[in-house]
Amino acid sequence: MFRCKRLLLKVFLLAVIAVLLVPINAPINAPASAQSSCTPDSPCEIEVWIVFTDHRLDWALERANEFMARHPEYKVTITPQESYFTLLDSYALAAEQGTTPEIAQVFEVGTQFVLDAGFFKPVNQIIAGRDEILGEPVNFEDFIPVIASYYSIEGEWASVPWNTSTPILYANMNLLRQAGLDAPLPKTWQELDAACAELQPLVDNGTITGCWTMSFESWLFEQWLAQQNAELVNNGNGREGRATEVNLTSDGAIAIAQMVKDMYSKGYFVYTGVRDDFRGSVQVFSSQQAAFMINTSAAAGSVAATAAESDIEILADRMPYNADVGWTGNIIGGATMWVSDGLDPAVEDGALAFLLFFSNTENAASWHQVSGYVPVRQSAVDLLEQQGWYEENPNYLIASEQLADSQITPATRGAVLGTFSETRHLITQALENGMLTGGDVGEYMAAAEREANVLLEDYNLLFVD
Amino acid sequence: MYVIPPILIVALAALVGAIWLVYRFRKHALSPVLGAVLGVSAGVVGALMFMWPLNFCTFERERDQMDLAIGLVLIFVGTVLCLTAASNLARRVLRRERTPDSDETHPGAFQGASAKVTAAVLLLPTLVVLALFLYLPMFETFRLSTQLARLGAPRTRFICVTHFTRLFSDTNYIQSAVVSLGMAAATVFLAISLSLLIATMAYRPIRGGRIYRTLLVWPYALSPVVAGIIFKLLFNPAAGVLNHYLQLIFGFQVPWLLDRTIAPWIVILAGTWNIMGFCILVYIAALQNVPAELEEAAAIDGANAFQRFFRITFPLLSPYTFFLLVTTTTYAFFDTFGLIDNLTRGGPLKSTSTLMYQVYVVGVEGRDLGRAAAQSLVLFLFVVGLTLFQFRASRGRIVYGA
Repeated sequence: MFRCKRLLLKVFLLAVIAVLLVPINAPINAPASAQSSCTPDSPCEIEVWIVFTDHRLDWALERANEFMARHPEYKVTITPQESYFTLLDSYALAAEQGTTPEIAQVFEVGTQFVLDAGFFKPVNQIIAGRDEILGEPVNFEDFIPVIASYYSIEGEWASVPWNTSTPILYANMNLLRQAGLDAPLPKTWQELDAACAELQPLVDNGTITGCWTMSFESWLFEQWLAQQNAELVNNGNGREGRATEVNLTSDGAIAIAQMVKDMYSKGYFVYTGVRDDFRGSVQVFSSQQAAFMINTSAAAGSVAATAAESDIEILADRMPYNADVGWTGNIIGGATMWVSDGLDPAVEDGALAFLLFFSNTENAASWHQVSGYVPVRQSAVDLLEQQGWYEENPNYLIASEQLADSQITPATRGAVLGTFSETRHLITQALENGMLTGGDVGEYMAAAEREANVLLEDYNLLFVD
Repeated sequence: MYVIPPILIVALAALVGAIWLVYRFRKHALSPVLGAVLGVSAGVVGALMFMWPLNFCTFERERDQMDLAIGLVLIFVGTVLCLTAASNLARRVLRRERTPDSDETHPGAFQGASAKVTAAVLLLPTLVVLALFLYLPMFETFRLSTQLARLGAPRTRFICVTHFTRLFSDTNYIQSAVVSLGMAAATVFLAISLSLLIATMAYRPIRGGRIYRTLLVWPYALSPVVAGIIFKLLFNPAAGVLNHYLQLIFGFQVPWLLDRTIAPWIVILAGTWNIMGFCILVYIAALQNVPAELEEAAAIDGANAFQRFFRITFPLLSPYTFFLLVTTTTYAFFDTFGLIDNLTRGGPLKSTSTLMYQVYVVGVEGRDLGRAAAQSLVLFLFVVGLTLFQFRASRGRIVYGA
């Protein structure tokens, strides 16, 4: 018995050692054998990574099923990821192991990084002059110009637009009327400030916490910068050549930091206390603790839902601008769909065909209705108008109009830089420092600029030959 | 191209090593020649330990004063480490030779010719796991900390100790170190003292004692992330439970997470609440092991309850207190990350941005692997230093066994 036990032990130990010694670098996913054609019997797989996990994921799954019904030779799987950041990081790690999905949703901030890393193939090169892919028409001229100008790099389409948004102003009309205010809503910082002064009695008697709120994030800073036609980085905002310097001390940048600080110290701006707190800011507005909110147009859906629930009237208008400088235009936010590089031609065509279907007129319109994101195609806007959607939901039109009226300059095309996400952290930190301490906002912005420049220099050392 | 030629540095380290070991060997009546040979080699190895992989880059002309200083410190540390190891090892080996009868056999030790092989085989799985998941990543961290490296970048670039010099001149980082230390100290003190207080009450055989004890330990079963969410629900300044009732009853609100003097205390409170269950568990078990006779004897001698607690019970608990000191310190430095990420994200004004949270911000959010590696090394040394200090400071004050 004892011997038997010892033998068992030895066998067990050997097994453990054998398992541990299995080569760790063995390829887990060997590249699939080159498939020259996809058939309904053996469909080619197209994996799509997106960042939505709610009803927006359901919408994407429905489109995938519709696409598979049209093209049974492809099998589309949609894999949700936690956030834009994690999606991009997972993609970078997957790229090292050669297990990337065929399509990934990348946010605007990641554009330079994915271009530098060479993860994806520009869709222009896949189209190669064709006007339809597997029966799905290519009509990129139909995309709204400001969206087109953001996502075309050196005049070339790199990706297919999907979810695009722009910040707008939301107003709780019930609260405004209590203070004797009504439409039109404030168009500028200065008018917002004046409206806040009118709302102060409501703050004093404890009805609301403050006048307005926003998600405290760099994206809104960038928007206000673009409105004043000020560039965030050099070399045509990184569009004409690689950005080498970040500019956070321009008059426009300082004006924004000062405005936020002034609004906060007067008690007008309600800060949730956490940076990048989208949910918190919506919560403040929905629970009627602030009369105004500046937030992405993609919040329109959830705002409308709470408005219906608590029976309040909510009106939207364009993002207030600095009247001292005037309004040039707004940048877009959101993400686009990218096709991985190095795919088999048949798979590549399938992936692109899916994206073309995904963003066609009907789908762009229904996506807008489901999510509140801007319809990315002019034809989708026309379709929605025909259906009378905007008459019933005027708030949804604001974002489209704001983008359509935007003048296209390097500033409103939006910055492109490799260290965008880190720079964003530095910007929000500097804004917070300026707002919460007695110090000079210019000093904080200058400090953030210095740090951002070191990061950008490091980045360029690694990515530029 | 070097400020100080590498060969000179190595020679100097070798000389220092030789002198030191000859002196030590003389003192212990061992051969000075052997000491000299050993000292020279230990000095050379010590100097090269960090400088070989770094290629003596800190002594290059284009580096600044700070780099040079770090280089000298590294050589000093390497040489001291190697010399201490060599001197201790030599003394042990030479002593054993002189006393051949020191054939100690512990009961339960492996016996026989194949004993060493069996032991090695049994240890192998653990060693392999340790090597793969602990030592290898650690060496990689050392390597990365000297590189410009980013996730997804096509290449890395060697930049010597620039990451470290930048850290030491970064006021934000120094502030972060102060924040970490302060918050850890407060969390550890609160957690240990409160749980000792609670445990002294809860360990007694009272009616329903088991239920109380289970309830007391419960918070420990929650991960810091969940604890963070719970405290966020309570202390959210805009829509939290606490402010809701404050407004309702007293008509005012407190900017819990907005104020840079209050916010760290909320994190400390959440951390204390989260880890206290563990401390209570340990203290209850410990208190049940304190012999009742001692306390009875003291009571008969006329010692009052306070005297009995501070003169008898507390000293007897010292090994457990020390254990808790080390574990809660580690918790406060590393595991509060989940709390902070949910409660404050390091804000407001970086008042809750601990060293651990900084590593996350730089390495994960910023994808700056090199800088994050340097920061995590500094954090590692920080905690190791703190633990060593705790061991030193508590030496002789801990009573094991009654």
